[in-house]
Amino acid sequence: MIDNLMLGIETAVSPENLLWCAVGVVLGTLIGLMPGLGSATGVAILLPVTLTMEPVTALIMLAGIYYGSQYGASTSSILISTPGDSSSVVLTLDGYRMARNGRAGAALAISAISSFIAAIISLMVLLALAAPVASWALNFGPPETLAIILLGMATIVTFAGENMLRGIIMAAAGLLLAMIGTASGFTTARFTFGSMNLLSGLEFVAVMIGIFAIGEVVHQIHRGGEKPIRARLRDLMLTKDEAKRILPPALRGTFLGTALGVLPGAGATLASFMSYGLEGRVSKHRKELGSGAVEGVAAPEASNNAAANSSFIPTLALGIPGSGTTAILLGAFVIFGLQPGPMLFEQQPDLVWGLLVSFFFGNLLLLVLNLPLAPVFAQVLRIPYSYLYPIIIVLSMVGAYAVGNSMFAVWVVFFAGALGYFMKRYGFPAAPLVLGLVLGPMLERSLVQTSSMGHGNLLIVFERPLSAFFMVLAILAFVGPPLLGVINRRRERSRQEKAATPA
Amino acid sequence: MKRRSLLAAGALGTLGMTLAACGESGGSGEDGEFDPGNRVTMIVPFSAGGGSDIAGRAIAAGLEEVTGSTVTVENRVGGSGAVGYSDLRNSEGDGSVLLASETALNTLPIVQDVDFTYESFTPIMKAGEDFNIVVVAADSPYQSISDVIDAAKSEQLTAAVSGSTGPDHIAWSLIEQEQDITLERVTFESSSEVLAALMGGHVQVAASNPGELTGQLESGDIRALCALAPERYEYELLADIPTGAEEGVNVTFAQWRGFIAPGGIEDAAREYWIEKAKEYEKTEAFSEFIESNMLQPVTAYGDEFVSYLEQYSADVESALGN
Repeated sequence: MIDNLMLGIETAVSPENLLWCAVGVVLGTLIGLMPGLGSATGVAILLPVTLTMEPVTALIMLAGIYYGSQYGASTSSILISTPGDSSSVVLTLDGYRMARNGRAGAALAISAISSFIAAIISLMVLLALAAPVASWALNFGPPETLAIILLGMATIVTFAGENMLRGIIMAAAGLLLAMIGTASGFTTARFTFGSMNLLSGLEFVAVMIGIFAIGEVVHQIHRGGEKPIRARLRDLMLTKDEAKRILPPALRGTFLGTALGVLPGAGATLASFMSYGLEGRVSKHRKELGSGAVEGVAAPEASNNAAANSSFIPTLALGIPGSGTTAILLGAFVIFGLQPGPMLFEQQPDLVWGLLVSFFFGNLLLLVLNLPLAPVFAQVLRIPYSYLYPIIIVLSMVGAYAVGNSMFAVWVVFFAGALGYFMKRYGFPAAPLVLGLVLGPMLERSLVQTSSMGHGNLLIVFERPLSAFFMVLAILAFVGPPLLGVINRRRERSRQEKAATPA
Repeated sequence: MKRRSLLAAGALGTLGMTLAACGESGGSGEDGEFDPGNRVTMIVPFSAGGGSDIAGRAIAAGLEEVTGSTVTVENRVGGSGAVGYSDLRNSEGDGSVLLASETALNTLPIVQDVDFTYESFTPIMKAGEDFNIVVVAADSPYQSISDVIDAAKSEQLTAAVSGSTGPDHIAWSLIEQEQDITLERVTFESSSEVLAALMGGHVQVAASNPGELTGQLESGDIRALCALAPERYEYELLADIPTGAEEGVNVTFAQWRGFIAPGGIEDAAREYWIEKAKEYEKTEAFSEFIESNMLQPVTAYGDEFVSYLEQYSADVESALGN
């Protein structure tokens, strides 16, 4: 372990590798800032550029793009409510709220710090336990995934804000939208109206850009006369109280993110949603969630970074990618004539450990870059909206077009934007809709897979210990809060009755 | 201000990338020779980073070398590939547009309501075939494909497949028809998810292309039972794997890779591309593409490729039962 670490440090600190690591994280941050241009697209676009480099240098740079873009994506979520990536959607809740409250600089700093904490902890897990964790993760088959997704759905309650019914309606609408396209495991086309563009479903990124970016812009124009936020420099700094509140949610988020990132397919988006949900249950400040709470930024941000790192565990140790982006990185390994898997650790230790140690330098660099830049980035909000809005709209359209090189996605953005506007105007929360849309296809897939595995018997989820455990958690999460509410109300009533009787 | 100019620079970059697609189209020279012009577009109907993308980029780079034209790869994503093919249809008659094609050209028209078949296009080159290899987890009780078939006769086995119309699904259907068995399919999104399910013991068998299996075969996490190919592979890692026929399963099934041009292009254009593709086959770049993906370099051009597609569509149609 120590030998490996030394070997890794030796490889990672060569001037050339450090330089490309820096280039990678900076490029990643820029890519993450662009709405719709996520890490997967970024790595795929820049992959050909790295072909002339040494394999380890190229992989260090590509990995830097991956985790760098996680930082950038949060920045645009917080500042202009335009998530750069699906895993930073949650930040449009409290992060954007904080920015509107004049705390943009603080929100960005919280996001950078919690990302860094998460990156370092998950990196240590990765260094120490990659192989055993990876083989353990194989125990998660379709029934376990199904149970975890149901557990994730249970967190919707938290996102619903004050009106739970509306939240559930929006989540259901998200699930319905996710039904568009070819049925999972079959060839039936649903709700496509003969359009080829809809065969593989609505492009999630386009819907997200529309609802968040366009919806928010149009809504603000409708309200009219929004003044640019003129925060003083002092307001851009993190207060002592805020700084103190970062660590506990960041640790919880890191734990969830590391755990979910390891599972093939579950990923960073689910992790960020679930950790926000977890804060809604356990945080001391849960009442403030939704109105710009530190926890609402720190937890999801920590979890999506931890998940990005830990998705390297199955990728490197088993050759099975843990996320869309690591799947593309896996392709890069193959192009360089490397075959990820247990053999890689033995055959190319300098490459594996060098790559992993470079994460440390990359994240350190991101922290050093992002902390001082937070107040600078926050200045974007001082731009008069008459200039800012057109920029957001153009960037959104370009981002949507870039997803599939097709105009269809741009139309989806328009429609989703109109929908997003009316949702905002009439107070329907957007996050549950996005959660439904993200989880819908995963839910359907694992449901169909579980059903085939059980030869039609879905109850096998209760026959397997791991999935049974998560199912029980999911049921508790669904039933628990309403039940507690009823009990509390009863107790309240009987107390009142008791108070009333003597009088 | 800083952030604004930075965003603007990014936007310009993206615009540049997308605009780069719009090139000049080709035409015939005065002597009847076809010239595609300086800009050729290679459509890849799947997203960047996947197997089709890697193949498309390799072929594009190879063609660039032999033609001297710039071959720009464009990922036109959507509809499980249908959007890209549909775009090629819209370029009818344009000899400067190509598409990196594979099995989806045969399966999509059979399972989905799309407005094209392979007959809508001008097939140019089949560059290689990617046969399926039947695999089980290292701790599986099955030592041969006959063990699997025997077991399937007395109990319900599950086979993981990647995609509901993928080549592995079709291969299993052909085996089912030949051996008179049925296997429950558990459909996953990608070969790597299939492997994870196999190694985790959630399904009993799977089939995949050698390129997807090398890491796990080398490490011994999975065991190959047979190759659904007419002959044994010559690659060192695969040379010991018996063919299906050796084990009494007379099924061969491969995914093909190659490229096609739009329908209605001039004969001169068709001849030009076939000529250039044949030149490409002789290059170092081609052998490297074939070897790094562990393909079998069974090439076919023009009419020969068309008859291959005809047979292939018939096989797919019988396997998918439509």
